[in-house]
Amino acid sequence: MNSMNNIERVKEIVEKVAKVRKFEQIDKFQIAFEIEKNDVHQTLSALKLAGWKQLSYLSAIDWIETSKFELVYVLFNWDEALYIQIRAMIEREAAEMNSIISIFPGAKYYEREAHEFFGINFPGNPDYHKQLILENWDDIPPLRKDFDPSVYSDRKFPKREYSVDYSVKDPENKSFEKIKEREKRALSLRTGGQKK
Amino acid sequence: MKSTKFTPVPLTKAETDKKWWEIGDFFRRNSLWLLMYCTGCCAIELPPAMTSAYDMERLGMGPMATPRQADILLVSGYLSLKTLRRLIYTYEQMSEPRYVVALGSCPINGGIYHDSHAVINQLDQYIPVDVYVAGCMPNTEAVMNGFVDLMDQIKHKRANGWKKYHENYSWYKANQITSLGEVDVHDEFHE
Amino acid sequence: MIVNILVGIGIALFGFALQTSIGGINRKIVGRLQKRHGPRWYQEFIDIFKLLSKRGISHGWIYDFGVIMALGGIIATAMFMPLTVDIVAFKQFDNFFIFVYLLAVGMLGMAMSASGSGNPWASIGVMRALTTMLAYEVPFLIVALTIINVSDSSSLTAIQAFQQTAGNNWFIIALPLGGLVGVLSLMGMLGKKPFETYIAPAEIASGPMVEYGGKQLGMLFILHEISVFIEVSLFVHLFLGGASNIFIFLIKYFTVYTVVNLISNVNGRFKIDQVVKFFYKWPLLLAIIQAFIAIYLGWVI
Repeated sequence: MNSMNNIERVKEIVEKVAKVRKFEQIDKFQIAFEIEKNDVHQTLSALKLAGWKQLSYLSAIDWIETSKFELVYVLFNWDEALYIQIRAMIEREAAEMNSIISIFPGAKYYEREAHEFFGINFPGNPDYHKQLILENWDDIPPLRKDFDPSVYSDRKFPKREYSVDYSVKDPENKSFEKIKEREKRALSLRTGGQKK
Repeated sequence: MKSTKFTPVPLTKAETDKKWWEIGDFFRRNSLWLLMYCTGCCAIELPPAMTSAYDMERLGMGPMATPRQADILLVSGYLSLKTLRRLIYTYEQMSEPRYVVALGSCPINGGIYHDSHAVINQLDQYIPVDVYVAGCMPNTEAVMNGFVDLMDQIKHKRANGWKKYHENYSWYKANQITSLGEVDVHDEFHE
Repeated sequence: MIVNILVGIGIALFGFALQTSIGGINRKIVGRLQKRHGPRWYQEFIDIFKLLSKRGISHGWIYDFGVIMALGGIIATAMFMPLTVDIVAFKQFDNFFIFVYLLAVGMLGMAMSASGSGNPWASIGVMRALTTMLAYEVPFLIVALTIINVSDSSSLTAIQAFQQTAGNNWFIIALPLGGLVGVLSLMGMLGKKPFETYIAPAEIASGPMVEYGGKQLGMLFILHEISVFIEVSLFVHLFLGGASNIFIFLIKYFTVYTVVNLISNVNGRFKIDQVVKFFYKWPLLLAIIQAFIAIYLGWVI
């Protein structure tokens, strides 16, 4: 079966159950639909029936300017070479999305991960709030755009202090010329010791 | 005439202990068994160090399966918080004398992960480190040189990180708790 | 009596020193096989003394006692082992069955101690070790009984003498199928590669030894060296005609251990069910055919 027909078929399936806000063809083997939050479950079950029976990944993107999270469900078919991305926007404040473990049981761990890194709640998943990757996390979820990892790292982890003597960029430093000399020699060695 | 009779000089207990310790050091530095904690990318330098290219075994070194049997804890690469918890657990299981060798720039100052929320910056704040091998990643000659340096340190009685851990236990524990919150490992797969 | 005991202890010590050196030489040989330089020949001694110099931890009474019991059992077994036809500590007591029974003391002590450590890998390792033992013992015992039947004695000295008097007619040649079974069982006994299932460092973290460190592991290494000495000498005496003097014994011992080690180093590792299936299929079949040929038909080459 050729892939153009496939894409048309998928479009028909999705349009039958959901209102497509945006369609995007990323390349020959990947297409994306942006749909309403409430249509996600129907779309996923329809696509599962049509043969896209593996959930490859569930991820989230933080659009902090518009104050939205974008959830991305990536579906995979073992018979036809076509990935389908289902995208849905949800509100950033008190983010919540109904769980899809009734359709894809394997989504349990993806949802736990998304909860841990973005703080999205998944009612319907019995243990989405349990910790999975981070242990004893004590700050806002780390992959949100308003989280500053560098500040967190400075606060939590002791840094090694270097005295100024080691700085090679200081022009007052007497070893500066020696270093230049050594670099020159290294460059000459790079050509196998031959002069150009 | 000088007497040829052998008169043993009585040694004090401390001197005898020192003699025994030196003999032990000879055996210890010629048979270093590694526990490879392959956390990061520097672990890729170990296969050439073990196999025919550099042949670690000619120095009497070799990989071991469990922390109880090993002498060196080899930290190869960056340490995330989650890994550090297991690393401390492993380190405390090893039988003494024990040594720590850290490969790569990540355990020294964080390396390219210096501003990450999940990777620690300085390993020697949490457990004592005897030898650091710098580089991102260090090449295999540097790794082998690090081991030879450790042997030299053992010979000159400078490899006493494990003693430091006993003496400054409260300092190390305090550091561990500031960064980790809780040192004990709790997760749903162990309970 | 005291002289006998001293000779026995001397044999055990000699066995330890011999096997440790030959083990070290074999590590070097394997290194050359893999195009490496290999360790020094006395590396195994350094390893053992280093382990004895380290601080060990205890997991309780059973754990400590088991190690000592295993070491004592294995030294007691080694004391009965004849080196040549003449060098034997307790004459009349070098019966084949003594070794079969006394070896079990060492094995059981180690099993007890390893289970006492409470680590699940140790229990799995012990279970696998006992299963492997069950697998190789059956074909090996059938061949050994055939040899005892043919030579009309179960004393190792008598078996040696029997082979040497008949124009050096070694049992590995006289009973070729049995000899093959003997080599395979020996590899199982020594825990060499295809049958290394109960050590399996990458899989169950060195099995029974998982919780050992420091002194206890050192004692376990000594135990291992002496038990290898017993098993290889048993093979030399049963199949290779024993030895009329100590040099012949050394040559035969070295050859057997090196050949087995070389075979081991070009093999992968079986799973535990494959080990049992293997031993109960070909070696058992060959052993029964050999016993039938040798005892009922009387065809001994």
